[in-house]
Amino acid sequence: MQINRTGIWLIGFFGVAGLAMCLVPLALGADAEVALIIGSTGAIWFLVAMGLVWYARHNQKKAAHNDWIFQNGIRGTATVLDAGSHATVNELPLMKLTLDLDIPGVGRREATRREVMPVFTANRMEQGLVLPAYANPEDPGDFILVW
Amino acid sequence: MADLEATYSAFAAERGLELVPAVGIGQLTPLLVESTVGGQLAPAARGRISAELDGIVGQLAYKRNKTFRFTVALTRVLSSTPFVPRLFCIRQGRSTRDDEFYGFEARHSKLWTESEKLNDRFTISTSPYQDANWMRQLFSPALVDWLANEPPADFSFELAYGALLGSIEEDAPGPDQLAALCDATAHVAARIARECGE
Repeated sequence: MQINRTGIWLIGFFGVAGLAMCLVPLALGADAEVALIIGSTGAIWFLVAMGLVWYARHNQKKAAHNDWIFQNGIRGTATVLDAGSHATVNELPLMKLTLDLDIPGVGRREATRREVMPVFTANRMEQGLVLPAYANPEDPGDFILVW
Repeated sequence: MADLEATYSAFAAERGLELVPAVGIGQLTPLLVESTVGGQLAPAARGRISAELDGIVGQLAYKRNKTFRFTVALTRVLSSTPFVPRLFCIRQGRSTRDDEFYGFEARHSKLWTESEKLNDRFTISTSPYQDANWMRQLFSPALVDWLANEPPADFSFELAYGALLGSIEEDAPGPDQLAALCDATAHVAARIARECGE
């Protein structure tokens, strides 16, 4: 997953508005009860924004690691043995794939992978589909699937 | 609607296609996923849509805050999946679903080319783990020049797992526009197939 313009806007909005809701009532000397209610809501908004920042950074680090595997990894193939989804993330199916992973020099083995995919991609994850895969040369169990 | 059916009927007769009132082609590409009735074209015509290419051409409705209508041509480039699982070349300014996915979306890479004219006209995106060298060969100077100058002004295409969908933003296309869409889609299909074969 990667953050997009809407995500940046949401983080900005909830972060700035949340912080303002915490600080402005105090700065204006509002009634303590009012400041507490508005401030609590603001704190929740701010925490939501920080949660989104954490999620975006986590995905950025994961993407950087995957880019490294793509640049330095061993290219092989992954054949879809089974595919299914029981959950969605932002309307995108969270797919559980069972793969026959074939990496030259490492051998074949069965592996499972969970991936959030667009609907049109998820629809095509059928038994027998062969996709490129790249394995980490330092840890062949660490691989990326090209879809 | 009667005019549209007459246009498709005339185009089908001219190219020897089978006219069909409505046909479901499945949710094969992002545009088809967003269609009002999962990948349904109405009306449509199928058969040899261009000189050496079989496919289907038809009208697609796409609902967001209002209903948009596209004219699309679908064909197959089956050899493309191992080389380029997904490739989207979308006209600049076309509203697409990926700009509103609640802040996070599936990862993709946007391609940059040295052609300012191409960059002004299209946003090109693909899988983040796409062989860059292969993509440079696909987007040869000839293809870049063709894309920048030759297709209809509102032409876009989506390639996903061997399904190639060319589209223009026309509510009621004329026979010339249908022909231009089919020929542009055929040109892209031929170029991708040739590069996959090399």
